[in-house]
Amino acid sequence: MKRWLRTRGAWWLAWLGLTLAGAAWLAQGELLRLRDAFDTEARIAHRLLSQQVVQHDAVLVTLALLDSGATNARPEQRLSSVYPSILAVQRREHGADWSDAAHAAALAAAETRSRASHHPALATLDLPAGRYQLVIGAEPTSYALDIDLAATVPWRDWPMDPAQSPVRVALEHGDQRFVIQPGRAAEGRWRFGMRKTLASESQNLDLVASRGITVADLPWGRIAAWALAVAALLGGGRALQRQRTARRRAEELLRLGQVARLNALGELAAGMAHELNQPLTAVLANTQAARRLLDDDEPDLDTARSAMGQAVTQARRAAEVVGRLRRAVERPGGGVQPVVLQEAVHAALHLLEPECAKRGVAVRFDAAAQAPVRVLADPVALEQIVHNLLMNALQALEEVPPPQRRIAIDASAGADTGTLRLSDSGVGIAPELLPKLFEPFFSTRAGGLGLGLSLCETLAGEMGGALRARPGQAHGACFELELPLAGRNATP
Amino acid sequence: MSEPLSPLVHLVDDDEAVRASLALLIGTVGLRVQTWADPQAFLDGFDRRTIGAIVLDVRMPGLSGLTVLDTLVAQGVDQPVIMLTGHGTVEMCRRAFKAGAAEFLEKPVEDEQLLEALQHAVRQHVRSRERTQADQAARERHAQLSEREREVLGYIVGGFTNKEIARALALSPRTVESHRASLFAKLGCDSLAQLIRRYAALVDEAAP
Repeated sequence: MKRWLRTRGAWWLAWLGLTLAGAAWLAQGELLRLRDAFDTEARIAHRLLSQQVVQHDAVLVTLALLDSGATNARPEQRLSSVYPSILAVQRREHGADWSDAAHAAALAAAETRSRASHHPALATLDLPAGRYQLVIGAEPTSYALDIDLAATVPWRDWPMDPAQSPVRVALEHGDQRFVIQPGRAAEGRWRFGMRKTLASESQNLDLVASRGITVADLPWGRIAAWALAVAALLGGGRALQRQRTARRRAEELLRLGQVARLNALGELAAGMAHELNQPLTAVLANTQAARRLLDDDEPDLDTARSAMGQAVTQARRAAEVVGRLRRAVERPGGGVQPVVLQEAVHAALHLLEPECAKRGVAVRFDAAAQAPVRVLADPVALEQIVHNLLMNALQALEEVPPPQRRIAIDASAGADTGTLRLSDSGVGIAPELLPKLFEPFFSTRAGGLGLGLSLCETLAGEMGGALRARPGQAHGACFELELPLAGRNATP
Repeated sequence: MSEPLSPLVHLVDDDEAVRASLALLIGTVGLRVQTWADPQAFLDGFDRRTIGAIVLDVRMPGLSGLTVLDTLVAQGVDQPVIMLTGHGTVEMCRRAFKAGAAEFLEKPVEDEQLLEALQHAVRQHVRSRERTQADQAARERHAQLSEREREVLGYIVGGFTNKEIARALALSPRTVESHRASLFAKLGCDSLAQLIRRYAALVDEAAP
């Protein structure tokens, strides 16, 4: 668990944090958008309803103005067909009573108010039923309209679908309420609301719009997409980081391996020095003692003879140490098998590509130019030879300026051998040094062990091949590795 | 002053063949050799009074030569130590000399080098033993002086004349003269130069 927390906890925490922050931002944006939409819809609803009720005022005023007194014309009775919200029109001649006896008193009171204000006045109001009466007091005839609120709503221009919309819209006056569309105002974590009186003095009803936002209204789809995107991004980042860590680890291991090899070599040398130095010390001391004894005026021949015998024994002991050492470090002879020379070069070049790039060395090796040369070799040994030759060339090229650093490699097939030629544009090898090149512990480099080329030659010899060095054509050095062809069936 | 026996070289090496051959080689110049295969046995058993030198191999199982060297120095052993190693490093060499090794030689060792180093070491040891013994004798004689004679000796070594000493010690010159004659006799010196050479250091030591 602890380990899990250390390795992945941070990534999961980052994912959670980013997801939550994104979700909050998206939800906030959605809420703002919903608020905006609600405000717009409520404003439109208010405007439309205001326009409708103002029409009722206008109709009454017009009736009062146009009153011709022609008792038979009665054009107002046709109004219902033009305005569906106007259920009926009543008129009261001067001195007569309102025909709607049930509401006569209210009508008369409203008429009085209307006369005082010179505006239409509300007589009766029954919001739950959606009905009210509007009166205008005028001479010679007063008029009253029976209005159906349900028909007042201009559904054609209405900004919402009354059956589906989550917005509740109602008209209120005092305790009465007429619900235009139910919505679902009651539910939800967040509430939007608006109350605004209709823009008509006579019909001062309040338009009340409200909306509840539930958790389900949040943009879950986009939030999920965001969470996934963050996960993908962090996953990619983690993979990249792991890859980088793995590469760094591999490089570290490689370096450690080199150090370990050097240490092992040092340990071997120390052990060898001790093992060999003991018998050599005895050999030297014995022979020198014998010489001193023989130089005496009266030589002690017996002691001198015994000392010489000891020296012989100790010399044999030294030889045995060397033999034991050779057997201990003997390489297990890897079996030879058909190997394509070009592929071995490719493998070695691939490993040394960063080195070449770092030193600005141009390597010319066109594997496709020649037919694959199949030779019999131990693949590991072959790769080591090519690797060592390349490393030598790279080191030799350090002596010349970067623009002149070139390595050329080509492979060719002869009668029964395949040849790999590797030439560099370095300073080359002095002719007098050529014969010593493959001797162990011979090195032209300061600090060089002088084992690389010696090992290469031994390896080539063990595979039935040969390694030769000669001066390059213009300058630099050229190494030729010759190996037996595989079954003489190399591709022509 | 010299020991009745010829100098003795202690040779410590775990390798039988090396021990035998080096002992033979060292014997050719007339030095006696005692060989030791085990460094611990050597530390426990060797005679610290002998005149001579010690040859130590660095690489030995159990106790390393450098550890043996440290132990010898800690015990105040005065024989010079010659270190032998088959695989010497600069660091090892530095450590050996710092610990007080007289010589550091690499195996296989040339006879000239080893024998010369040994003879030089033995000569050094003989001289240092003689010096130690002379010191010891002078110390004993000095202890026989009376308080007054020691005071007078201090003034003599300081370069004062009899008159000056008599004034400083509120004595008569005659008395000073008799103290002087007495201390010359007790210290076994014939001349002022001899007295100063042998006893100046002791006078400095005694003075606070």
